[in-house]
Amino acid sequence: MISKAFKRALWVFHVNSGSCNGCDIEVIAALTPRYDAERFGIKLVGNPRHADVIAFTGAVTSDMAEKVKRIYEQTPDPKVILVVGACGIGGGVFHESYHLEGPIERLIPDATCVYVPGCPPRPEAIIYGVVKAWQFLEGVEKK
Amino acid sequence: MLPMLGQLLKQMFTKPFTNLFPAKYAPKNVGKYLQDVQAGKATLISPVPVADPETFRGKIVYDREKCTGCKMCIKVCPSKAIEFKEEEKKIRIYIGRCIFCSQCNDACPVDALHMSEEFLLADTNKVADYLVVE
Repeated sequence: MISKAFKRALWVFHVNSGSCNGCDIEVIAALTPRYDAERFGIKLVGNPRHADVIAFTGAVTSDMAEKVKRIYEQTPDPKVILVVGACGIGGGVFHESYHLEGPIERLIPDATCVYVPGCPPRPEAIIYGVVKAWQFLEGVEKK
Repeated sequence: MLPMLGQLLKQMFTKPFTNLFPAKYAPKNVGKYLQDVQAGKATLISPVPVADPETFRGKIVYDREKCTGCKMCIKVCPSKAIEFKEEEKKIRIYIGRCIFCSQCNDACPVDALHMSEEFLLADTNKVADYLVVE
């Protein structure tokens, strides 16, 4: 019963790891009544210990690198990382910048990431990323 | 009460503002549902339509035949998402890195690049087949 509810109602912890705020706005837009991701039980929580999914927006700056690792370790297993935007995927326009520790996979190499490309991605694309995370967690359950 | 009645009746018969993308309820088995969608058995509730399809900037479409390998797109790309293939004199675009600015489309002298309406892109593998345009 609990595992059944788990893969449905994903609780998301949102981290701004050096984003320009464009992706943050789109993440919030996905929760507004227009798209209403909360009807699936997907909601933002204020604590990584409560979360199933961590949504990282932005290229990881050197200030945020340690915090990103710590937040990842605080989240209970099984967990999925939702990398929103081009910056977290490959650095985007900030690639090869001098104070950049990212992309995310360089910091947390063994994590399962769902990448949502776009600068910023549309809210539907972010919801589609969550659908992909659902699909992944279903696969984990079967194993 | 009476002035409110009109508004009340209006709201009773109007559709909710919410766009029920991707489905009204979460499907029992998401993997199977997505397979059904690809096979055409089920349909996704479509996203909010793009405002102006002519100027919307979605995933890049690359016309391989037209490309002359002049490297103009590589020069203007702000996120260095385009790679040059030396042997073939063609390009490879990583959509994961692309910021959808369409500057390469403006720079291309032979009109080999243009932006499509496709924007539902998400994958666990950032160099998946459909996230690398060749």
